[in-house]
Amino acid sequence: MSNEVFKDASKMSGGRESDDAIIVIEGVYKRFKDFEALKNINMQVGRKEVVVVIGPSGSGKSTLIRCINRLEAHDDGHILVDGTALTTDIRNIQEIRKETGMVFQNFNLFPHLTVLTNVAIGPRRVRGLSKSASEELAMELLTRVKIPEQADKFPAQLSGGQQQRVALARALAMTPKVMLFDEPTSALDPEMINEVLDAMKELAQDGMTMIVVTHEMGFAREVADRVVFMDKGEIVEVGTPTEIFDNPKEERTKKFLSQIL
Amino acid sequence: MITWMRRNLFRSITDTILTVISASILGYVIFQVFQFVFVTGRWEIIQVNLKILLVGRFPEELMFLVGFSILATCFSIASLASGMNRPLDQPPTLAGKLWELFQRFGLIIATSAFLIVLAGDLDAVLFGAYVVLSIFAGRLFGTARRTTLLRRLPGWLWLSINATLPLVLIFLTMGQAALEEWGGFLINFYLAVVSIALSFPLGVMLALGRRSTLPLLRWLSTAYIELIRGAPLFVLLLLAGVALEFFIPASIAPDAIFRAVTVFTLFTAAYLAEVIRGGLQSIPKGQAEAGKALGLSTFRITFLITLPQALRNVIPAQIGQFISLFKDTTLAGVALSVFDLLNVGTAITKQDDYLGQGLIYESLAFVGLLFWVGSYVMSRESQRIEKKLGVGIR
Repeated sequence: MSNEVFKDASKMSGGRESDDAIIVIEGVYKRFKDFEALKNINMQVGRKEVVVVIGPSGSGKSTLIRCINRLEAHDDGHILVDGTALTTDIRNIQEIRKETGMVFQNFNLFPHLTVLTNVAIGPRRVRGLSKSASEELAMELLTRVKIPEQADKFPAQLSGGQQQRVALARALAMTPKVMLFDEPTSALDPEMINEVLDAMKELAQDGMTMIVVTHEMGFAREVADRVVFMDKGEIVEVGTPTEIFDNPKEERTKKFLSQIL
Repeated sequence: MITWMRRNLFRSITDTILTVISASILGYVIFQVFQFVFVTGRWEIIQVNLKILLVGRFPEELMFLVGFSILATCFSIASLASGMNRPLDQPPTLAGKLWELFQRFGLIIATSAFLIVLAGDLDAVLFGAYVVLSIFAGRLFGTARRTTLLRRLPGWLWLSINATLPLVLIFLTMGQAALEEWGGFLINFYLAVVSIALSFPLGVMLALGRRSTLPLLRWLSTAYIELIRGAPLFVLLLLAGVALEFFIPASIAPDAIFRAVTVFTLFTAAYLAEVIRGGLQSIPKGQAEAGKALGLSTFRITFLITLPQALRNVIPAQIGQFISLFKDTTLAGVALSVFDLLNVGTAITKQDDYLGQGLIYESLAFVGLLFWVGSYVMSRESQRIEKKLGVGIR
């Protein structure tokens, strides 16, 4: 699972493309008016790798992963997902969105559709599966996240933890090659955080490539192959969980960790 | 009861005074109305002219077309409404169901019964029975959509089938009889149904156009909406009556009904567009983002995700627009000299038998009653649909 080459490559600024990298980010900048949200971001993610991105709020973590599926357009640099370059070309964007699943902080389930339809809508309308095939697939995934009995309910009738697991199933229904998690547990009550984290751990064990923005340091320590620390729009430090948490080199990393641990 | 009265009506001296004053005013009004309805009112003018009030001088041999178009409308509305059911947490009891039916249809049934009694013939009774039948058939058809092979029908096709059915029949009816021959409530009913059915898709398109990222589309939609909303409906109707003659020779110019439908559709669409745009703005950005993240196209995000939610959120405002359209159809009578219910209502008081007897009260009361029943039913149904679709559940 872990990949020594990448851990090293990622530390070089301007990391080079490799056959084994599924995501390549090179010299990426993102500006909102006068504010620089991302400054010269370089990183690569290998297949089956789990990368956890941590950092103070406003450090650009969410912006970074939102650039990967073009929910935000980056201003400079290159992003490659599974060999496809993110440009303004809508076909490329659609191609990449098909290959990347995303789980949001606020779930963003479709409130007017049943849980089953929420999960089935992607395969049905994007992959063109038949109604019954897409629903069968949806049911399978709901079983996998352990809530098959909620299939006919509406999202509002579910608890936060259940909703987030539906959101996970919805993203997985597209059989993505990469999963992006944007603070998936931040909007949850404490007692529901673990059920979502457990589902994510299982996913990681099954070999899914994952980029996770989170404040759950326990999860990062246990599951991450690599931890990326960001601050003020820059990647400050990259390393294995042990390196980052037990032996941080940068001053900013130390300060951040001392504040939250 | 006594305690309730003491607490709510006679709590203090001012309360008592207010209660006494308002109670006496209320009592006086109720007494006057009661006296008018049951004692002094001369309702034979309505009874004698009932047919002309409802359909004008519509040719007897074509009446079956009118009947069919009304039945088709009932059928379609019932079938669409039954498609909106969502599973309830508890199955309703029989008593609860009956009470709900009474609340929904009580007024309509009472009014229809009243009209049937006034008409006093067998055909009217039969027609009432057909209406009930067509509503049940519509419900069955609507339920079949979810349980049988009809499930494979895409939503838009389902909607068009239901919308086309009554519209085709209505247009057929309108084409069969000469304009001078028909009138009365039928005109108001047709104008309202056709304009509602046509203005809704146009309103949706304008709302989407105004939010479009294509500048030309956005400017055109905005210009259209602002232009139409800035003009009084009555002026537009008058314009439609005279201005067309500047461009088209009178011999081939569309008749007044067609012009009225056009004006009502264009006018209502502009208002609807703003209502729907408001609904679209109320949908959180995360909904579209979730759609994008799944790889759905912009078109699908709009028609599967944001628009359905937006329309659901603004049901009351939309129905409100339709209710005012329904009542505004009387303006067509004045502006375009169409012989609608209001015009018939005033005209019958000038018949030889009733001239100069001040029967305008009876006539206007009847006209008002029909419009009130129609509007009230629409308003109740809007509340029901709102509840059924679970607005507010997020």
